Amino acid sequence: MADPTDPAAPPGGAARTAQAPSALTRRRLLSLGAAGLAGGAASLLSGCATPGTTSVNTQPTIPAAGEPVRLQYWAWLKDLQKVCDVWNAQRPDIQVEAVWIPGGNSGGYQKLFAASAAGGSPDLAQVEFRSIPEFMLVNALVDLSRYGVDQYADRYNKALWQQVSYVDGVYGIPQDSGPMALYYRPDLLQRVGAEPPATWDEWAELAAEVRKIGAYLDVFAVSDASGFCAYATQAGATWFAVDGDHWTVNMTDEATLNTAAFFDKAIDRGLVSTAFTLFSPPWYAAAANNQIAGAVTASWGDALIESVSGGAGKWKVAPMPLWQNGSQTTGYGSSFIGGSTAAVMADSKHPKEAMEFAVWMTTSRAGIDAMIANSGIGWSPTDSYIGATRQQPSEFFSGQNYNEDVFVKMATEQNPDWQWWPLTTQSFNILADAFRRKGGSYTLVDAVRDAEGQIIEAFRNKGLSIERRGSSS
Amino acid sequence: MTSSVPRAEPPTVADAIEVGAAKAKRGANKQVRRAPWLLLAPFMVLFLLTFVLPILAAIGSSFTKVTRKGVFGELGVETTFAGFSNYTQAFADGTLAKSLGRMLLFGVVQVPVMIVLCTVLALMLESASARWPGFFRAVYFMPYGVPGVIATILWSFLYVPGLSPLVGLFDKLGVQIDFLGEGTVLWSIANIVTWTYTGYNMMIIVAQLKSIPGDIYEAARVDGASTWRIARTIQLPLIRPALVLTTVFSIIGTLQLFAEAQLLQSFAPSITNTYTPNLAAYTTAFAYNDYNVAAAQSVIIALIAFVLSFVFLTLTSRRQR
Repeated sequence: MADPTDPAAPPGGAARTAQAPSALTRRRLLSLGAAGLAGGAASLLSGCATPGTTSVNTQPTIPAAGEPVRLQYWAWLKDLQKVCDVWNAQRPDIQVEAVWIPGGNSGGYQKLFAASAAGGSPDLAQVEFRSIPEFMLVNALVDLSRYGVDQYADRYNKALWQQVSYVDGVYGIPQDSGPMALYYRPDLLQRVGAEPPATWDEWAELAAEVRKIGAYLDVFAVSDASGFCAYATQAGATWFAVDGDHWTVNMTDEATLNTAAFFDKAIDRGLVSTAFTLFSPPWYAAAANNQIAGAVTASWGDALIESVSGGAGKWKVAPMPLWQNGSQTTGYGSSFIGGSTAAVMADSKHPKEAMEFAVWMTTSRAGIDAMIANSGIGWSPTDSYIGATRQQPSEFFSGQNYNEDVFVKMATEQNPDWQWWPLTTQSFNILADAFRRKGGSYTLVDAVRDAEGQIIEAFRNKGLSIERRGSSS
Repeated sequence: MTSSVPRAEPPTVADAIEVGAAKAKRGANKQVRRAPWLLLAPFMVLFLLTFVLPILAAIGSSFTKVTRKGVFGELGVETTFAGFSNYTQAFADGTLAKSLGRMLLFGVVQVPVMIVLCTVLALMLESASARWPGFFRAVYFMPYGVPGVIATILWSFLYVPGLSPLVGLFDKLGVQIDFLGEGTVLWSIANIVTWTYTGYNMMIIVAQLKSIPGDIYEAARVDGASTWRIARTIQLPLIRPALVLTTVFSIIGTLQLFAEAQLLQSFAPSITNTYTPNLAAYTTAFAYNDYNVAAAQSVIIALIAFVLSFVFLTLTSRRQR
């Protein structure tokens, strides 16, 4: 198509003659390149064993380097480098570089899994509590108990430490968490003449009242099972446990089924909205329109609620409602939702140094304050220090000193037996897919029962042994 | 090469030269034979490494299985040949079949709508009475220049209640409309896809329309054919290849739907992690770390795309005869 006489055409002729003398070299280069690529391909093919099937925790431990080392920390925390710089200034022997990755399952894990499968994972990575067993399953994490992490155990929240401990090992350093409480709009509650509810039964009554002024007291996410899971945990459920060489599961205990039945009723009565999820664009639109009167969510939800337009001074925080059995309260005061760890990855050449940095970052006052100021992390994993800025009243939350008033207590009233399992993401998706079917005669109780069966099946498909716990099957 | 052989050499040497020339010729033949391979090499190497090898690796991976002992595989991990168990597992929970069915429904509706729309646009732009065809061609093509991700985010703000002026307008008129509900979100995605690709397909058809020789039109007009008649009996039959091509591309594109569904997930709770076949494979591989089953799912998607395209091509070419 191109006209050879076109003056605008690139001077191809000249270029060709100019390249002619080097043609042989180039050709040789090409063939060399081809051979190299073919070799690479061969090694690729030979390396085609399914990734993540060898373990670093059976190999000898790596001693401290004894010379300056550089570490990489992949995380989705904002401005994490500024936190690392505080440490780097004190410790020239261990220099940490922060590398940003997308948050968890929205791309970060995919990247970490791929890097780990290729043998190039960083020294440290941000891994949520619930994802630790998933990373363990592909042998991506270092067992820190082999590097003496147990000496730091008493610095951390007990329930959180339990969530990083599996089969005599510790696989991550708790970094932040999210004890839940009830955020509410005092003005909307006053319009129906109510105080924040102390129990879930009171909550249901209030939710019905709030509907009369065109607002919802909360939403129920059918597309994200983590909320339901947290409610069941609060009620006292422990879905998974390790028993010797196999997993045991019980997702249909009394606590879970009662929770499911409670929200079945709440959805059937139209007390909660299932049309959108917490902190999604439609939620913000509704909240700005005074159509959201409350939300039971984690401490880190404060920053998200602060972005409700026109919400300043209108919100307050109360303890999470309690579950009741007859007239007696059961279960626990609160539940964690979300929260992450700094996990040492299997390909790290300096696991001991990486652990030292992670412990400093999560337990020292300087570390915690820097993490809050720069990265806006969730709740401090150390019960003894919540961070300087969190000890003051908040203007947005109606001048309430809500962190000290509410969340300090919430963080300690946790279900200490809860453990995550290697198929958390998949299990939550299975649950959510079952929840989505809610409607008509299909209930959340049915959904939980169905999901349990599918999750057991998924365990077996992964080649893991699992048994149903309890006798009610 | 042979022309360079000097003709004025003495006869005694001529034999030797002849032999030399024949050798040179053979050598030249060899070079000629080798040339296309050398020229193809850069492409072939990359094609093999980034296309053929990954496909072979995926097929291989779809037939292997990892078995673990203990709670995390700490007592040993085995990789074994799995036969078709990954394929049966891919279909076992019914989500992949459901997502394939969903895409079939999507394709049956969206592809014809888009093809009709782009054909009509192309015919109108190429009709004699069209005003500023160049300008409108550019305008219709413009959405294709917007990346799928951006297009989805743009559209999502027209879908979300409370933000969308459309939903607000319908609300004022007393019509409750939910673009992101379980029954509607598929068509909201179809709308985004149609918006993006109609202009692109229109361009392909316009190109084919432009290649129709002018004398055919002239002859038709001499015979007194109307614009409608010209479109029906000249233009439509002659742009058939372009229509077939755009339809096949659209069928394959439908099966590969991914970004729109994945992005709308954060706005629409009804979109599951297995909403489209590609989303299901992505979730299995990178959220569940089950590369083997994901490989099986990918192979199934590729096979179905191949079968559908093949059936469509066979049907259209048979009718042509």
